[in-house]
Amino acid sequence: MRKNYRILDLLRRGRTPLENHLIDGLIDGRISRREFVRHGSLLGLSLPLLGRIGMAAGFGAAPSLARAGAPGATIRVGSSVPAAAIDPVTIADAGGLLVMQQVAEFLCVDGPDLVLKPALAESWKPNTDGSVWTFKLRKGVKFHSGGEMKAEDVVASIDRLADPANSSNALSVFNGILKKGASKKVDDYTVEFHLDAPNGNFPYMLSSDNYNAVIIPASYKGDYEKSFDGTGPFKIEKYTPKVGASFVRNDDYWGEKALPDRTEFTFFTDIQPQILALQGGQIDIINQMPVLAGVAVLNDPNVEIISLKSSAHQQLHMHCDEGPTKDARVRRAIALCLDREKLAAGLMKGRAALGNDSPFAAVYPSTDTSVPQRKQDIAQAKQLMEAAGLAQGFKMTLTTERYLEIPEYAQLIQNWVKEIGIELELNILDQSAYYGDAVFGKSNWLDSAMGITDYGHRGVPNVYLAAPLKSDGTWNAAHFKNKDYDQMAASYIAALDLEAQKATAGKIQKLLLEETPVVFGYFYDYLTATAKGVAGVQPTAMSQLFLEKASKG
Amino acid sequence: MVFLGGQVLPGNVGRAILGPFADQRAVDALNHSLGVDRPLLVQYGSWIWNFLQGDMGTSYVFRAPVAPFVIDALGNSMKLALVAFVLVVPIGILGGVIAALNVNRPLDRIISLGGLSVTVLPEFVTGIILILIFGVWLRWLPIAAAWPKGAGFFTQLYYLILPSLPLFLVLFGYIARMARSGMIEALDSDYTRTAVLKGLPWRTVIWRHVLRNALLPTITVIATQTGYLIGGLVVIETLFRYQGIGSLIFTAARGKDFPMLEAGILTIGIVYAVATFVADFLYSVLNPRIRLGAEQ
Repeated sequence: MRKNYRILDLLRRGRTPLENHLIDGLIDGRISRREFVRHGSLLGLSLPLLGRIGMAAGFGAAPSLARAGAPGATIRVGSSVPAAAIDPVTIADAGGLLVMQQVAEFLCVDGPDLVLKPALAESWKPNTDGSVWTFKLRKGVKFHSGGEMKAEDVVASIDRLADPANSSNALSVFNGILKKGASKKVDDYTVEFHLDAPNGNFPYMLSSDNYNAVIIPASYKGDYEKSFDGTGPFKIEKYTPKVGASFVRNDDYWGEKALPDRTEFTFFTDIQPQILALQGGQIDIINQMPVLAGVAVLNDPNVEIISLKSSAHQQLHMHCDEGPTKDARVRRAIALCLDREKLAAGLMKGRAALGNDSPFAAVYPSTDTSVPQRKQDIAQAKQLMEAAGLAQGFKMTLTTERYLEIPEYAQLIQNWVKEIGIELELNILDQSAYYGDAVFGKSNWLDSAMGITDYGHRGVPNVYLAAPLKSDGTWNAAHFKNKDYDQMAASYIAALDLEAQKATAGKIQKLLLEETPVVFGYFYDYLTATAKGVAGVQPTAMSQLFLEKASKG
Repeated sequence: MVFLGGQVLPGNVGRAILGPFADQRAVDALNHSLGVDRPLLVQYGSWIWNFLQGDMGTSYVFRAPVAPFVIDALGNSMKLALVAFVLVVPIGILGGVIAALNVNRPLDRIISLGGLSVTVLPEFVTGIILILIFGVWLRWLPIAAAWPKGAGFFTQLYYLILPSLPLFLVLFGYIARMARSGMIEALDSDYTRTAVLKGLPWRTVIWRHVLRNALLPTITVIATQTGYLIGGLVVIETLFRYQGIGSLIFTAARGKDFPMLEAGILTIGIVYAVATFVADFLYSVLNPRIRLGAEQ
């Protein structure tokens, strides 16, 4: 399609230089339409505006959304048991945050395509260097308890999470980014966030990507299970700890009213009973299905699988400061032993994307796809071992957690590295034993010479770039200390411009391929199973499930 | 012991609640607010003092009083155990009696070998097979044992049939075998021979002389299984999503929720003690010699 420069000029009028630079990138073909929409949403451009710019730039109309189904259904969901009391400040587990997310909303939502969509915030904008972000709130949004959601509620909700005295589970997200008191009310519907340092991806920290960041009344005192107050399309009907929860439509919702009359959540301690309950017709949806456990239903004609590409992965760390893996050549040799195609196709049944030993997953628009993919090369691995003076191989222990497919992954690694003479003894621990106190000196995870750790999905790679890889990273299990890397990671995190992010990403990817403190073998898909005929279900890879458009055929 | 055992488990309460990726400052703040950063003796003393006053404590994880959780879970476990007992005790004893009366004949072999075969199958195997047959293929019975709110007696019973069947299978062979060997011994005894020689009808011999004596070891077995049925059904409770005391203790141990763990274990201890007492009592009712012996 032809570009319509007249309309493009009109749309560019009044935009910031940063926004116009992004539009230029789309027109010149330097960035794809997908990257444009995703990064535009990050900068606070509305989706209709991004769609109009895309049309004018010759990309045609965006695909229309699926038609709405019939209203009035009761949608039944199987989920894991909330591991603790449901409290937006402390909640850390999938079961609990799934329940909380049914009633409470975020300022914006990180969708399955990693495009940020406005929710309680209508728009947002950075200042010139990305150190202050201003969010405009939606007017007329009511809490279930009756009051209108205003700036003081947003300031209190985010301040509560940034306060170290509150046992906030989001503290690690805001660490070095946002302090208590740095969220400021400008007027009833405008909030400014003054960051510790420029941050080009900050809106993701306030989105569904930071699952604690729901907006609840400023008056909240820490007894969430008594009220389940929020602004969402559903209101709590009943919550029974360890058993389940049910919700009914909120007729005062600010947006389009929910299609289902009710939703029911049943808690399960294990995945197998969930699968049987789905097959037995007692639930309609399994919120999160691990691929290996779900093999039985992946090809069941009565079950549909919603598969989301994600950045979730298993990190294989190797100590960079001691033992045989101190030598980067040995770490590279180990990484070269992995047959990633087999991992994705066999171990993960095709439900995974290849990893290239950096956290830059294929889902991220900033990932530099020109960096060559690392492949299995035993000959080169042997050469590297020889060059490191370890041609005879060595023995070491691989410590890891009993979780998802990790034990099987560890066995595959054990077999592959045998080919270059490395004998791995597997030490597979219960999760609590593996993580221990989760601080250096008191944790098998952080202290083991080699280990595999599960990392959940994130909409931007900031957390993966900082905590497990920066010299002072709190989860730096590899003990990787590299000043060049630290600077590059800081530069990536601060960059507001997609092309600048891409350029830095490429440099980081190359450096990590050279150093290989952590092997990123694959990024696994997030799977949700639904009974045939159930439509309009929208999961996210953060274990959230949006059911307002759900229906049963 | 439970308290000390919990302390040697890796990790701490705040870390278990907030997860491995939480900031250490948040973990410290939570531990402080829960009071688990106090010296162990202080924590233990406080728990004992409250328990003696009838306060089971407040769950670290759910931040709510422990007692309603434990009472609900115990009630559920007792319901499931009761249904399993009502099914297995008469049928198991009947099976044993029939086997003993037909000793070394085909019927005896079918009951003995069949009972042995299903007893050695773990509950999770029979449970999954039964779920597949009755829940998934035939769709006759609900897979999850959690009945809807306000369900009446028969609805609850309907939901309990499937989870009680694996328990039936595990216990049937055991009870039938004990009943069979007790019967064989009693049938072979002098008092039975005397009763028969006295010319008593066969039915009277069986009911009044044989069965009464034959069931003594069976009752001991049943009583010892009560504790298991009420306290140790983690597998069944997980498989059928049943909120019993076994799963309560299991999740409390995993989450380092000590007040819940301690209350749960203490409750099971009490159940075991009561079950043993009831067994002794029944034993003495059925076997007057024990009482006479005590009196002499």
